[in-house]
Amino acid sequence: MPTTKFSLDPSDINNFTYDMSRCIKCKGCYWVEHTYQPGARFATRCPSNVWNDFDAYGAFGKMRIGLALAEGRLEWTPKLLEIIYADPLCGACDVGCKRNLDLEVELSLESLRVKAVKDGAGPMPVHKKIAQNIATKHNVYGAPHGNRKQWATGDLKIEEKADLLYFVGCTASYGNKEIAQSTAKILNATGTPFMLMPEEWCCGNTLQSVGMLDEARALAKRNIEMVKSTGAKRVLLSCAEGYRMWKVEYPKLLNIATADLGFEVVHLVEFADEALQKGSLRPAKPVNKRVTYHDSCSISRLADPWTPYSGERGWMGTVNPRLKRRRGTQGLYAQPRNVINAIPGIDFVEMIRTRENAFCCGAGRGTKEAFPTLASSSAKHRLEEVKEIGAEVLVSACPWCKNNFASAAAGDNVKVMDFSELILASLDA
Amino acid sequence: MAIVKEAYRALEAVVGAGYLSDDPAVCEGYRSGPGGYENGLGYERVMTRIPGAVILPRSTEEVQKIVKICLRYKVPYVPYSTGFYGPRSHPHIEGALLVDLKRLNDFEFDEKHWYANVGSGFIYAQFQEECLKRGGYGVIGGGGAQASVIANLIGDGWSPLSHRIGLPHRRILGTEMVLPDGEILRTGSLAVGDDPFWGDGIGPDLRGLLRGYTGLRGCLGIVTKMAVKVLPFQPERLEPTGISPDTALALPEKRVKWINYIMPSKETQVRAMYEIGKAEIGGAVTKVPLFWRAIAKAECKEEFWDLWLKETPETVANFHIVRVLLIGFTNEEQLEYDEKVLSDIMQELGGSPRRTKPSDESWIKNADSAGMWLMCGSYVSVDYVIETLGQATEHGQVYADLKKKYTPPLMPDHGDPGWFQSFELGYQGYSEFLIYWDQDENTDGVDHFYLETSKMNINHRFYTSLLGPHQPMYLTGPKYGPNYHEWMLKIKNEFDPMWLCHPPVPFAHDEFVRRAPWMHKLADWESPREFPYPQWLKEKMDAEAAAFHVKK
Amino acid sequence: MISKDELANIVGAENVSDAEAVLLKYSRDRSLVPAGSPECVVWPTGSEQVGEVLKWANAGNIPVVPVSSQEHFNGGAIPRQGGIILDLSKMNRIFEIDKDLKKARFEAGVTWGRLTAELAKKGMRTIMPLLPHADRSVLTDTLEREVPTNTVYDYGEPMMAFEVVWPTGDIFRLGSASVNGYPDSMSKGGNPSGPGIDFYRFVQGAQGTMGVVTWTNMKIMFETKKDKVFFAPVEDLAYAQEFLYRILPRRVGQEVVLLNSTDLAAILAEDMDAEFEKLRATLPPWTLILVVSGLLRRPDEKIAYEVKLLREVMKNEFREMHLSEALPGFPGLGSKMLSLLRNPWPAHLTYWKNRWQGASQSLFFIARPEMSPLYVDIVEAIAPRYGYPVADIGSYIQPIEHNRACQVEFTFFYDARDEEAKARISALYRDAAQALVGEGALFTRPYGDLAPMVYERAAGYVMALKRVKKLFDPNNIMNPGNLCF
Repeated sequence: MPTTKFSLDPSDINNFTYDMSRCIKCKGCYWVEHTYQPGARFATRCPSNVWNDFDAYGAFGKMRIGLALAEGRLEWTPKLLEIIYADPLCGACDVGCKRNLDLEVELSLESLRVKAVKDGAGPMPVHKKIAQNIATKHNVYGAPHGNRKQWATGDLKIEEKADLLYFVGCTASYGNKEIAQSTAKILNATGTPFMLMPEEWCCGNTLQSVGMLDEARALAKRNIEMVKSTGAKRVLLSCAEGYRMWKVEYPKLLNIATADLGFEVVHLVEFADEALQKGSLRPAKPVNKRVTYHDSCSISRLADPWTPYSGERGWMGTVNPRLKRRRGTQGLYAQPRNVINAIPGIDFVEMIRTRENAFCCGAGRGTKEAFPTLASSSAKHRLEEVKEIGAEVLVSACPWCKNNFASAAAGDNVKVMDFSELILASLDA
Repeated sequence: MAIVKEAYRALEAVVGAGYLSDDPAVCEGYRSGPGGYENGLGYERVMTRIPGAVILPRSTEEVQKIVKICLRYKVPYVPYSTGFYGPRSHPHIEGALLVDLKRLNDFEFDEKHWYANVGSGFIYAQFQEECLKRGGYGVIGGGGAQASVIANLIGDGWSPLSHRIGLPHRRILGTEMVLPDGEILRTGSLAVGDDPFWGDGIGPDLRGLLRGYTGLRGCLGIVTKMAVKVLPFQPERLEPTGISPDTALALPEKRVKWINYIMPSKETQVRAMYEIGKAEIGGAVTKVPLFWRAIAKAECKEEFWDLWLKETPETVANFHIVRVLLIGFTNEEQLEYDEKVLSDIMQELGGSPRRTKPSDESWIKNADSAGMWLMCGSYVSVDYVIETLGQATEHGQVYADLKKKYTPPLMPDHGDPGWFQSFELGYQGYSEFLIYWDQDENTDGVDHFYLETSKMNINHRFYTSLLGPHQPMYLTGPKYGPNYHEWMLKIKNEFDPMWLCHPPVPFAHDEFVRRAPWMHKLADWESPREFPYPQWLKEKMDAEAAAFHVKK
Repeated sequence: MISKDELANIVGAENVSDAEAVLLKYSRDRSLVPAGSPECVVWPTGSEQVGEVLKWANAGNIPVVPVSSQEHFNGGAIPRQGGIILDLSKMNRIFEIDKDLKKARFEAGVTWGRLTAELAKKGMRTIMPLLPHADRSVLTDTLEREVPTNTVYDYGEPMMAFEVVWPTGDIFRLGSASVNGYPDSMSKGGNPSGPGIDFYRFVQGAQGTMGVVTWTNMKIMFETKKDKVFFAPVEDLAYAQEFLYRILPRRVGQEVVLLNSTDLAAILAEDMDAEFEKLRATLPPWTLILVVSGLLRRPDEKIAYEVKLLREVMKNEFREMHLSEALPGFPGLGSKMLSLLRNPWPAHLTYWKNRWQGASQSLFFIARPEMSPLYVDIVEAIAPRYGYPVADIGSYIQPIEHNRACQVEFTFFYDARDEEAKARISALYRDAAQALVGEGALFTRPYGDLAPMVYERAAGYVMALKRVKKLFDPNNIMNPGNLCF
């Protein structure tokens, strides 16, 4: 049998026709993994297919649609665009499938968006507007670039130069200043000197997510160059999406490995856990609340480091050279839990769907902007779970999650907090 | 091809615009293959179509209205719960309405009387967890926990846990279905009231219409609700552990325990099953094909082949494991008793226990068939038959012998004779033969093998699961019963005279052989020139057959 | 007009009779179903003959009532439209008893008496209903879904693959006996399901209206090695049911039965005149009988763990339940009871239900166990309206499969020679059935008067059933007038 060359590069849909043609419709991409299946309620982990019940909206449907696109059997229509873009690319499908098989579902889904953009059909109109904002104002909102650092109030100690660079991100800079400020205060409290980007631009999450790879790549190059120019050894993110961008997508866009970035990428939950172990983070003030934690997708299922791959596929689909697939096993699960449980007075209760089975809030990666009802209904669905376990506080480690949950929770007896805010509440002033 | 617009409007009025679609992309999402069970084969390529439209009803009443509209406007329709069973659960005709039952996912549980009442969209994974929460359990068919409970019970699914429970369809209690003529049929205690707790009767049992061996593949109506027996388990929790892909249930070792025994020979392996059945112990008893172990160990497809290609026909032929699940239903002392009895049996037969993990990776909550596709990308079971241990322990070898002729394109498996185990405490035996291939290769040999196994079963006088719609009716019909196909057709014609329910099932495999030139040389049985379809279907099938030849 | 000669050509002259005495025997039975005479009785000796007779009957539009037993209690075999009796009692071969596959294959004419004796010779037994008449057909009772006394098995039905002759006269093997050449085949007949359709379901509970079953495979098991019979006096039926809900899902016990004093007295009394009334007076209102058995291996240890559970449950949760190996006041009852539970009622003795007054009528149905006290109340309220003393009602509750359900049986005893008593019992029976149906009692085997009562509530089911019936029996020759046909 002749071999086929391929690479794990979503810029060409043909790299994934094998994967798409081997989807067995087992819906491991849709259901909570069977071992953890909670029963009649909270049984699923696919926001797209819960929002819309037709098979097309699940990964198993999209695999078939993707193949039809690759083979030129489907025309671009608004409906097809909706099917492809009404999806937070949360990685549940990828991890679910990879429990048993070796199919690259997430990358296949990304390649559909790249094709949409290349064919001139995508992305969604609102994404084009966001791209325009990023191009002109360097942030997703189109807000004045000059206001980006306004969150940094005088009481915060920020260095000109340090080993640790805190990349704040658009959302914390403009809309969720409390996250940036809390993070900065935590860094100060642990005695960790940190700096900011000399000139921080958007990480490019939306661009990469919707298939505008060229634009995303340009931003990646620029941002990496800037970090290198500062000499920083570690880049810290308080935003899960930003973390994924720096750790996984930047290397992917540049066809290098995460290990070859030239600096380490850490999320605040990792940093806080390290600091806790070292003794520099000392949560002392009690927080007497029943608290639960939502595993944001980009620091869990999607967080395995990236290694580029190209090779050949041959007999029975075996690949050469050998490929160690990213199966979502390196999510940041223990770290936030260690830290939360160290807070005195906390009554920590797990969600029914945790870790790689978490139900995505539905906001990330361009989804909330283009499909607000998908985001709000997903968040409301997840909040049902919070109420089921009787939690008073819902904590996550991503401003997208926080904002989406907060607007869905309006009127409910649930307080939505970012991880940084919770930690700060337990530190002596 | 579109559904006629008057029908479309009427259907839309039933479910609302949000639950009906004829969009090409939406319909493409319902394509059967090319991946999946029995996909990537001639049958799938020749016989399946994407639907003309898809509808998602929410209740039996909506399903009934849909069926009646289809009757009015002569729209062929196909019931669909998850589509996991492959091509045979997908439309076989252009312009069919696919009735996606996933929204029929209601669930009730009667703990005291040990049953759960479920809709067609409710899957085994959910069902099993709800049972386990209440100290009960069900048997998840080997097809996987993602299968619809109802679809699997009317098709048949089983696992090593069937050692105690028996024929799956005996677990069917009060059931509700829409017949192809649009009438609602309620069976068991539902025939006379609202309580679904009992399955028999009234008088003759029309659960016979629900299914057969094995399965009607949806050509005789749509089942919408079913009460299902739950079996008492033991009270301690099986805790899920691990991060995917290394997840498992931690077993409370004093109440639930797997033990693997290495047996000195096939004879002792078989004898162990007989003896365990006679002693009436154990919750599950099975042999394990060697390549399943390799799948479980391997971290990826390539590693599987590393492991598997090291084996030889000798290592395979000499690999005799009996895997036993002990369940302390009554108390811890009962598990101790079972273990002592098992140990007695194994001592007599020379079986030696191996260190076995105190966890269950698959059978209790997963029945992970998904791993079957890891090796080659394509898979189907060419038999999964319940008979006696007498047949079960011999059946696989006959398949293995025939399979040599078709390897390649079938996967090199060193002559593995498949899976067998004890069922119903040894009253029955089960054998399953699984085959694997790469759909990118020439798969004609696989199509041939599939059909040849039917003839092999007839010649050797084995019972087989691939009857009814699974193989050509005119091949198997005269040889089983005899002429079971004539009775089946009478029933089909009585309740679906227009053949609108999943046409041309049950003649789908006959059609496949008729259309596919590479199958013609195998068609050595008597078959009428014309199949007994109503006129519209006859014309349609003739046209499809002709078009297929033109394409080739 | 039936031609005996034509029948004689099929089965032989010695196997056809229209003698008055013979016809009389088949025209009535022990039930209250009115008499109905056949015109002729035919005894085939093989399946081919059965097929030929049915073909003949179709040609002449002659009703056929298949019969396999020598005693009948439910009226299902009384001809309603004349025709012939097809008596399978001469088809009584036991083909095989296989201890490895744990099955027996035998013809319809094999009786409980004969089968249990042959099995016993090989150290085997089979699950049984309570005290079946020794001359009844095992196949028929199993096909008609008589409820077994054994509650512990999950696998449900004991029937495996069998042969049926359809009303058209076609011989058909179903399940895994359908393979060509069976039994000379790799398939041994262990699976009743299929081929194609679950035909076997249509014949179950059909009272001979869907075809003639000629032989069957059936599950058998090894005799137990050791048994302990436990008794508990029961005053409060609801309490006893709660106890059964608690212990039966833990899979303890083999045979488990609940009998009231009247029924149990009728079963136990050896000399009815001397003992029956005394037993009735001294037995507790109900007796729970639970047999715990050791099987082939380590029998004592099996008994030990089951008894441990029982003791713990009684001590911690059911203090008023006193299961012990002796029923107070009745020494030695254990071994007597065991023998009764493991054997048919001997043919040479008057059937236990008829020993007291000569005749009886049983009303039985499937129910949720927690409803049984209500059903007892209903029947006890109705009986006196017909002058039937409450104390004279025989009651038997049979738990089914972990007590997910039970069969409730009420028996009314009467003197068969007393026409007025018969009429009263008939009216009582109907009235009680009507009231019970209204409260959820499930009559899955609607004999006689029960049929219209039940089927009028099952219009949709009846419609479908009639259509299926018509496919298999287009001329409606099989036991017409029965069920809803």
